[in-house]
Amino acid sequence: MNEKRNGPSLTLLLGTPVTEPHGSLFGRLKDIAVATGADAGKIAGLVLKTKKGLKLVPATEVMSTPSGVLELRSTEMVQPLRNDENFILLKQDLLDRQIIDVHGRKVVRVNDVDLQWFSRDEKQDLRVREVEVGLRGAVRRLLLGTMPRHVVDRVARQFPARVIPWEFVDVIEVDPARRVKLKIEHERLAQLHPSDIADILEELAPAERGAILTALDEEVAAETLEEVEPKLQKAMVESLDSETIAGIVEEMDPGAAADLLAELPEERSEAILEEMHPEERQEVEDLLEFREDSAAGRMTPAFVQVSVEATVADGVEALRAFEGDPETITEVYLVDERKILKGVVPLGRMILAKPETRLEVLTESRFISCQADAHQNSVAELFDKYNLRALPVVNEDGRLVGIIEADHVIAFLRDKI
Amino acid sequence: MLKRWRTRIFLFLAVLGPGFITANVDNDPNGILTYSQSGAQFGYSLLWTIIPITLALIIVQEMCARMGVVTGKGLSDLIREEFGLRITFIIMVLLVIVNFGNVIGEFAGIAGSLQLFHLSKYISVPICAVLVWLLAVRGDYKTVEKIFLTASVFYIAYIITGVLSEPSWHTAIVATIKLPPRASWGQQGYVFMVVSVIGTTIAPWMQFYLQSSIVEKGVSIRKYAATRLDVIVGSIFTDVVAWFIIVACAATLWAHGMGNIAMPADAAEAMKPLAGSYAFLLFAFGLFNASFFAASVLPLSTAYTVCEGLGFESGVDKNFKQAPFFYWLYTLLIAGGVAVVLIPDFPLVQFSIFSQALNGILLPIVIVFMLLLINRKDLMGTHVNSHWFNAAAWLTAVIVTILSGILMFQQIANAWKH
Repeated sequence: MNEKRNGPSLTLLLGTPVTEPHGSLFGRLKDIAVATGADAGKIAGLVLKTKKGLKLVPATEVMSTPSGVLELRSTEMVQPLRNDENFILLKQDLLDRQIIDVHGRKVVRVNDVDLQWFSRDEKQDLRVREVEVGLRGAVRRLLLGTMPRHVVDRVARQFPARVIPWEFVDVIEVDPARRVKLKIEHERLAQLHPSDIADILEELAPAERGAILTALDEEVAAETLEEVEPKLQKAMVESLDSETIAGIVEEMDPGAAADLLAELPEERSEAILEEMHPEERQEVEDLLEFREDSAAGRMTPAFVQVSVEATVADGVEALRAFEGDPETITEVYLVDERKILKGVVPLGRMILAKPETRLEVLTESRFISCQADAHQNSVAELFDKYNLRALPVVNEDGRLVGIIEADHVIAFLRDKI
Repeated sequence: MLKRWRTRIFLFLAVLGPGFITANVDNDPNGILTYSQSGAQFGYSLLWTIIPITLALIIVQEMCARMGVVTGKGLSDLIREEFGLRITFIIMVLLVIVNFGNVIGEFAGIAGSLQLFHLSKYISVPICAVLVWLLAVRGDYKTVEKIFLTASVFYIAYIITGVLSEPSWHTAIVATIKLPPRASWGQQGYVFMVVSVIGTTIAPWMQFYLQSSIVEKGVSIRKYAATRLDVIVGSIFTDVVAWFIIVACAATLWAHGMGNIAMPADAAEAMKPLAGSYAFLLFAFGLFNASFFAASVLPLSTAYTVCEGLGFESGVDKNFKQAPFFYWLYTLLIAGGVAVVLIPDFPLVQFSIFSQALNGILLPIVIVFMLLLINRKDLMGTHVNSHWFNAAAWLTAVIVTILSGILMFQQIANAWKH
């Protein structure tokens, strides 16, 4: 494909007169339609404003002439613009709107769009190269109309450009029906770290936030929601219906889910719990009973426990069967028949030992645990004193009921700073 | 029954803030100067403007609050998305110029009020500028909001001053309700004063600040009724304060024939022999409170609004490297304001009044854009203006435009004469 270095920009293309093959004025370029979904970036056509209404013509049917005017090769391929097409219009839907820069992991506003002519099947076709969010685009927009176009372009090029390639642009569409038609699923966004997605959501307005949260996979949405700050979590939950929220809450870590539901008014959290699957619902309800600032309020019931008689091989099996997020596991807990905590085995030791070794041999001789009703301050002290990464929580009988992980403690301590 | 009322009050207190603060920052030194002058020059005969002004203020503020709650976006954001970069840019440039004029007025107020306690402006102004800067940059929004709310309450100082000045209550109340006799309108400078009083109450920066505060606070549609109450209560409170300022000056200065105030500080000075040193202290303190308060809000709000509209990073939670333009703009507004005020023999009064005229020029433009936005179904859903609300709002816009036009005309004519 032949690519020209400096392609036209949307700002300078808009309003260009378009003539018929024999020179008479056909219309003006009003907008540019871009396909989304699988065909992302491909120009579906140019929107022309003519005396007979809005028309759509493929970019290949148009040539640029030295005078700057565009000329149609023929009027055969011109069709009227219909509202139900599945493309976005650059000027109407993208210019001055917020988009997500997936690469830079933030929300930016579009100043201009850079296009590119390229050769395909002996014709010149047009495609979207990148989105301009910096000074260069801003200057072009501001100066348009005050000077001839090529002068505006030259002045604008003096300024630094901040661009985002089209592959990294995630368009935000608030209308759910349109979102489905445009196949906007935010696949690239979903691959970012949940904290980065949460940061992006925090920068958006409520409608856009809800749009993205519902478009994301439930698992991704759950991980993201866990990372959003509590006040915003509440606001986001308020705008969605109970069934949708339940689907997301089910996928969340039970401790985080309990924290979230505890913040909501009672009828709301009841409604959400109703819609959840019984198993997840029970886990969350159990946690909701504890005081938020106690050890039990901070813990999660997702941990790996095996019998004291178990071997390293059994431990590894238990890890494989673990339903939660395996990345958070740092140790395996040994319990007796009555589920009383008997030992703690760090993963590191397990890896170094032979599979037949009994875990009892590998356990810490003096392991640290805390009571379920301990205050979160004493929990933090324990973490500091014994350099822990995870702390098992036991009830009055000594039964293991949950664990607290280091990142929960960090979050709690940051609140205090 | 009692529980319902209790939850209602808690709900109200939870969202109390943006409307109340915005309305009270409106009583900045420039405003106080105008009210004082109107009381000193015309006694009680301008009090009738207070009720219509309060209504107009409520109408305009309520629209911004509603837009903020429903769309979750600030006013400059909305203007950018719906009207494009160029229009936003022009409005932002005008806003910076107009707000800078106001900022100078705030620092002039600080200088003037502390001069009453014999503190030289060369000491008071730089120190206060640094304090203002630190408050915004180091404080977090919740603490700062609480401080502002407390500062708002101190405006009661003016109410007490008003009472201490022993006004003729009957005359004052009658003057508030009844329109003045035809003869009053013919008085020299009366129309001008009416226009100034109205023009100083509704400023363009207030609309941007209120909407952004509400968005920042994250008020949801469910809590909207409480927010609307916040706006109404704020507007009423601030105009009650204005009423008392006018009354205080009418009872002291006008009653004794001292019709002209060159600086707000003069009003306080003149009060001392007439109403005692308490009135003097309260007035001076009230002036300092208003100046410091406004100096804290205005530059910050301007920086936020401009960054929001033009797409620059903003926020005091970011450091200098992350949001350079924001910090530069904010610091320059404060530094510039201080620099101008410290120029020896700078005509602070003329400049204060000139800044209000600038407000008046920009205001109709902003109101028109607000009205265009708030009637868009795709933005506001079912919360668009009702027909009679639209009528009231457009009427307010037209009246404000005409009055601002007259005010501007008068300013130019006056400037031409000298």
